[in-house]
Amino acid sequence: MVRVSTQLLEAHLITEGDWIAVTEICALCRLEPAAVLELGELGLVSARHSGDAWQVPAAALPRLRVAARLMRDLGVNVSGAVLAIELLERQRSLERRIHDLEALGGGH
Amino acid sequence: MEYRDYYKLLGLERSASAEQIKTAYRRLARKYHPDVSKEKNAEERFKEVQEAYEVLKDPEKRAAYDQLGSEWKSGQQFHPPPDWGSGFEFSGGPPPGGSRRRTYRAAPGESGAEDFSDFFASLFGGGSPFAGAGVGAHAARDHHARVDITLEEAFRGTTRTLELRRPAVASDGSLALETHTVRVTIPAGVTEGQLIRLQGQGSPGAAGAPAGDLYLEVHILPHALYQLDGRDVTLTFPVAPWEAALGASVNVPTLGGAVAMQIPANSQPGQKLRLRGRGLPGANPGDEYVQLKVVLPEASSPQARALYEQMRAQLNFDPRADFAR
Repeated sequence: MVRVSTQLLEAHLITEGDWIAVTEICALCRLEPAAVLELGELGLVSARHSGDAWQVPAAALPRLRVAARLMRDLGVNVSGAVLAIELLERQRSLERRIHDLEALGGGH
Repeated sequence: MEYRDYYKLLGLERSASAEQIKTAYRRLARKYHPDVSKEKNAEERFKEVQEAYEVLKDPEKRAAYDQLGSEWKSGQQFHPPPDWGSGFEFSGGPPPGGSRRRTYRAAPGESGAEDFSDFFASLFGGGSPFAGAGVGAHAARDHHARVDITLEEAFRGTTRTLELRRPAVASDGSLALETHTVRVTIPAGVTEGQLIRLQGQGSPGAAGAPAGDLYLEVHILPHALYQLDGRDVTLTFPVAPWEAALGASVNVPTLGGAVAMQIPANSQPGQKLRLRGRGLPGANPGDEYVQLKVVLPEASSPQARALYEQMRAQLNFDPRADFAR
């Protein structure tokens, strides 16, 4: 038997201004706390100590989630994930630049 | 449902060793991983590769899959044999047939067994909500899904309708799938990769424990006019040579509607002008960068040719003045 109901959900946007406890980051990214701290040590994210807990900015979530996926799916280690993300971001930046230059030279 | 040839998906012979399976998976995962791949249909291919690896890396699942025989071809209509599952025990799997298909897409690389095909689910259970129900323990679990929106939707905010299914106790005491449709409001100003939390929309917990949450990872689709970088957008804006040279007041499209902008005199092709706060909204709103593209009129009429001749004669202009002589 399948019952159907409709519900209006209230969405909570994890905003850029928020700081998130490392324990929550671990759940959101499926990462071990040690991996998050190591990613911080290697400069992928900045972490701060507040009260009894380490926190990272919510703005770092997309990078951390990509790092987690690369480590989980491709078997790369923390250093490899950081290197891959930095190179991917540089690649995207260059692609944007190429797009801008091509738009200048292309037809209208 | 259609049969899936997991060996063929990984490019392997049926006699492949565990090491060969792992190597093939790593190679294809690298090729199709949605976070790094530029391949067409990378996300779909990656899920197929993940599903094949999930079966072939596990000796129990592989042995059961091999038991189906080697006569099957990918795409062939398939139903599990009546005695399927006897002699095998899959950890965490429900009884055969307990399949579930989520109607929202998993985020790239976030696939769990519940995101695999009906073929997988019919054989191994595939993360059905009934998984583990027979043995009692069933922890609440967060779910992650991806939602694609346009740049305009990111600017203005939007709503998405998701169809979610989860187990519920029917009036006769049996478990049934309850489907409910939810409308989610995505607020204005979301950025690429940002997360939206929908509390209590993940897997239910056992014995009245709170359900997990559903996380939507926002992805903003490419736009025909604008390039997005964080909250900033860049627009390539064509101008006539006299507008760049003499300056002009023009109407420039922005995400919030056209605005008047003054092009300064002696502007050059590629120069970027900034419209502050005209990018994606937020606590620190993004800007719109207007990159000027000077478009030359063709010298296709006597009048146009005469004007170009006049410029050549009177402007004393050398575009290569900086070249070493």
